[in-house]
Amino acid sequence: MSFRRRLLLLFSFTVFVSVAVVTWIVSDMTRHAFDRANDQRTAALVAQFHREFARRGEEVSAKIQAVASTPQAMRMLVAASRPAPDYSTFLDDAQVIAEAQHLDFLEFADDRGVIISSAQWPAKFGYKEPLASSNTPSYPFLKVEETPGGAALGLLAVRTTDRKIFVIGGIRLDKTFLSSLELPSGMRAMLYENLDGGMGTFSSDRLITTGDHLENPQQLAGVIQSVQRTAIDSATAIHWNSGDDETVNASPLTGENHQVLGILLVASSRRAYSDLRTQIRSAALLSASAGLLLAVILSSWVAARITRPVEELARGAHELAAGNWQTQVIVRSNDEIGELAESFNRMTRDLLNQRERLVQAERVAAWRELARRLAHELKNPLFPLQLTVENLLRAREQGKAQFDETFRESAGTLLSEIQNLKTIIARFSDFSKMPQPHFQPVELEQVVEEALKLHQAQLAKAKIEVRRDSSPVSVPPPLPLNESQRPILIAADPDLLHRALSNLIVNAIDAMPEGGALTLRTHQETDSARIQVSDTGQGLSTAECGRLFTPYYTSKPHGTGLGLAIVQSIVSDHGGRISVSSQPGQGTTFIIELPANRDKLSTAQRTHV
Amino acid sequence: MKRYSLILLVFSSVLSSPHGYAASRPHYGGTLRIASREVPQTLDPSAQAVSPNLSHQVFETLVKLDERGRPQPLLATSWESEAGSQRWRFLLRGGVNLHDGSLLDASTVTASLRAANPGWKVFAMGEAVMIQTEFANPELPSELALSRNSIIRRAKDGRLSGTGPFMIAQWIPSKHLTLKANDGYWNGRPFLDTIEVEFGKGDREQKMLLDLAKAEVAELAPESIRGARSEGRTIITSQPQELLALVFSADAGSDDEAHARSAMAEFIDSSAINNVVFQGGGEPSAALVPNWVSGYGFIFSSSTGTLRSRQQRLSTQRLSTWTLAYDASDPTERVVAERILLNARDIGINLQLITSGSSTVRLVRIPLPSLTPQLALSELARTLQLPRPKYVSGSVTDLYSAESALLQSHRVVPLVHLRNAVALRPEVHNWHVLTDGDWQLCDVWLWAERP
Repeated sequence: MSFRRRLLLLFSFTVFVSVAVVTWIVSDMTRHAFDRANDQRTAALVAQFHREFARRGEEVSAKIQAVASTPQAMRMLVAASRPAPDYSTFLDDAQVIAEAQHLDFLEFADDRGVIISSAQWPAKFGYKEPLASSNTPSYPFLKVEETPGGAALGLLAVRTTDRKIFVIGGIRLDKTFLSSLELPSGMRAMLYENLDGGMGTFSSDRLITTGDHLENPQQLAGVIQSVQRTAIDSATAIHWNSGDDETVNASPLTGENHQVLGILLVASSRRAYSDLRTQIRSAALLSASAGLLLAVILSSWVAARITRPVEELARGAHELAAGNWQTQVIVRSNDEIGELAESFNRMTRDLLNQRERLVQAERVAAWRELARRLAHELKNPLFPLQLTVENLLRAREQGKAQFDETFRESAGTLLSEIQNLKTIIARFSDFSKMPQPHFQPVELEQVVEEALKLHQAQLAKAKIEVRRDSSPVSVPPPLPLNESQRPILIAADPDLLHRALSNLIVNAIDAMPEGGALTLRTHQETDSARIQVSDTGQGLSTAECGRLFTPYYTSKPHGTGLGLAIVQSIVSDHGGRISVSSQPGQGTTFIIELPANRDKLSTAQRTHV
Repeated sequence: MKRYSLILLVFSSVLSSPHGYAASRPHYGGTLRIASREVPQTLDPSAQAVSPNLSHQVFETLVKLDERGRPQPLLATSWESEAGSQRWRFLLRGGVNLHDGSLLDASTVTASLRAANPGWKVFAMGEAVMIQTEFANPELPSELALSRNSIIRRAKDGRLSGTGPFMIAQWIPSKHLTLKANDGYWNGRPFLDTIEVEFGKGDREQKMLLDLAKAEVAELAPESIRGARSEGRTIITSQPQELLALVFSADAGSDDEAHARSAMAEFIDSSAINNVVFQGGGEPSAALVPNWVSGYGFIFSSSTGTLRSRQQRLSTQRLSTWTLAYDASDPTERVVAERILLNARDIGINLQLITSGSSTVRLVRIPLPSLTPQLALSELARTLQLPRPKYVSGSVTDLYSAESALLQSHRVVPLVHLRNAVALRPEVHNWHVLTDGDWQLCDVWLWAERP
């Protein structure tokens, strides 16, 4: 991944994380603030409900007290005082009085608990009313009251007249009761009639609401069942199908025996919070988008400031590595990047200077070596020449016969030494005038065989065993045999190859004065061919290996130091390369890798034909 | 001139001064206003939508029943049977005019009876009518006294013509009926000129109309009788004759259900229903036919809450909830239904009250069809869609067996026989109610005593 892209990602990530963290913090604080406000409003509404509950209770008590003093109640009192009371004439009285007093429930019962008249269930006359006893509390209380249409939750009070007549009446906790609560905006109250003391049961028919019908009241089942089981407040958040969210707090309404008879549900809309949260998210999204855009722009600008010089430096380094020693980069700033560019330019300049100095030093060293070698080579024949000429001069003084004999001997010696000089000069001349290879189809095996045949006598004399197909000693690993036995055909100059191989064989013979083994292998690869020449001689040190192909360098006492240089020159002229691997005492291996030169091969074949 | 005027004034004063004499003799004229509880949709007696009390003022039958339930001549003067009471010949009264002015003849009677009794073969034979039934029917004359066998001529425009003492002057279904005197009535013109009936009046409204002198007669509900009487009103009551009963829509599907029906029949507190809900306006009864008609009704026990019923509670717990239908327009029926619900719950039967739709059991009120016990039982069975009772002979034992069989079918539970009653203003004179509850309005006359 490029530095520029990494920088862009870093900027984007930083912006995103910052916006996300700020959004989360703001949302969390908002939610907490909303929840606190919601709790306060819910508590206030529940308190209001209980106040209304108490007020209605007092109202019911007052009405029941008034009912107990009505003429009808007095007549019932008189009837109840008789030995065999007849209550049939009071059948409708409770209904009439309840209607007048705006009571939903009203029953008259005698001291035996027998119902005299019932408003909510007129047909219940003669049945027993459990509340008609002295144990009944004097304060209003919650109770499940039976009616022909089913049970209903009521706020009841009981009064008695001379303990002969009991008046039991009250109002129903229904929609009207709920509607009397003054609800703040965004809140609503519901009442669940837990009529059968249900534990963990829920019936939507028992849910009383003041407003619209609930779409899916089953969603309230969880919080209602929780209160049914625990008899303590519970709360939950509900997402309605209409899209509105509400927090619903459920409070138990208990009866005389602490049984949960009803559950007050106070629902507080979370629409305001949802709207605010949506706004926060929208703002965060907008900020994040703007931040990301800014990050892209900023990262591009910063990248342009930072990465462009770095990229130019990288490009310069690549060019330098490719051999372009003249490479320079533009210094664009005075900061660290600028210093780095300046250093790079200084480094390339220094490298160039050092290279030139090195070339000059090597050239001087080569000339010195050449001079030393030339002097050494020329000194050897010149000394016999000098002695011979001095001997001739002395012989002329000794007589003609001796002179003639000496002359004949000296002339031979002079001619021989002169021939040596010529040979030396020719060798140097040959090296300086190495001919360009004339490519033609060459069977590599044949060239190797001819080179071996040329030095067969020397090899035999030196007790050197020649191996062509295997190599017991080989470092690096020996080349695989030419198992296919097909001729390895390449385009090359056979004479130059022959010469190169001869030099290597001669070097190998020289390296094995005590005898040994010479192994020659050939191998064909896809587009090249390899020749491996290995001896079991004394081997070379690493330093010697490094300088082995330097012209005029030799490790032999009488070598010219041009043999391997010529071999390298021939191989190089063929487009190949030569390498050496050796360790002292473990022999030396030369590997020549020659390209197949198929283009030249086809051309050469046509020419040859 | 002045002299003659003074004599005329004195003469007329003498004629009008003796109040006691004027109040004791009938007076022609006047309009009798009746506040009725009913809300009839039609006046056609065959539809049994209107009370016979009113329909008999307009439409008459060939035969009427006397106080002991014996057939007496009305539009037929005599009759005789042939072929073992399977074929009957009725001789029609001559000189009887229908309200449309036409003379009553055998063809009119034949058409009317054929329409009411598709199973009969009715033939006109001169001034007589021949009726042939599929089986021997010794009670045919009594059956002809049923309101549905009234002789009616139905005009193409839907108007109904009868032969009664009053004819229809105005009819607004469910609201108002005006009858005017039939001057050509074969049994003499009635005293009243007009009768105006306002339908659908409740108890309070009836009392108010009576108190404000906007109605002379109020048709009271049984539960209002006691209250009206305690207020000092003139109350005329009939014998207990309207049957209040529970009728199951089908036979019991299992032994458990049959036991439950039996237990409920036994455990319903019909005495409390009569004494409290109906304020003693009837008589608790476990029989279909009132005791005063059959003479054996007391044998069927109406005691409630026996131990056996309570013991049957366990066996009824396996029953599903029953639905009890009642007339939502009648608040008293609602209270009765709720009382039955309470009684049933005591023995473990779950009842659900409904006011419409099909139900397991329904609460019904059926007027006494006839004073003839056999005929009354047959008509009740027909109305309640119960199996037709079979009589081997006309004996009381046979009748008792037939009624017992009906009751043991667990299809019907008689509760109370209710009385009919009217409250009269003092201006109404000679109000006479027949044994079967019919009003004899042709004999009623109005006279207001001066204060």
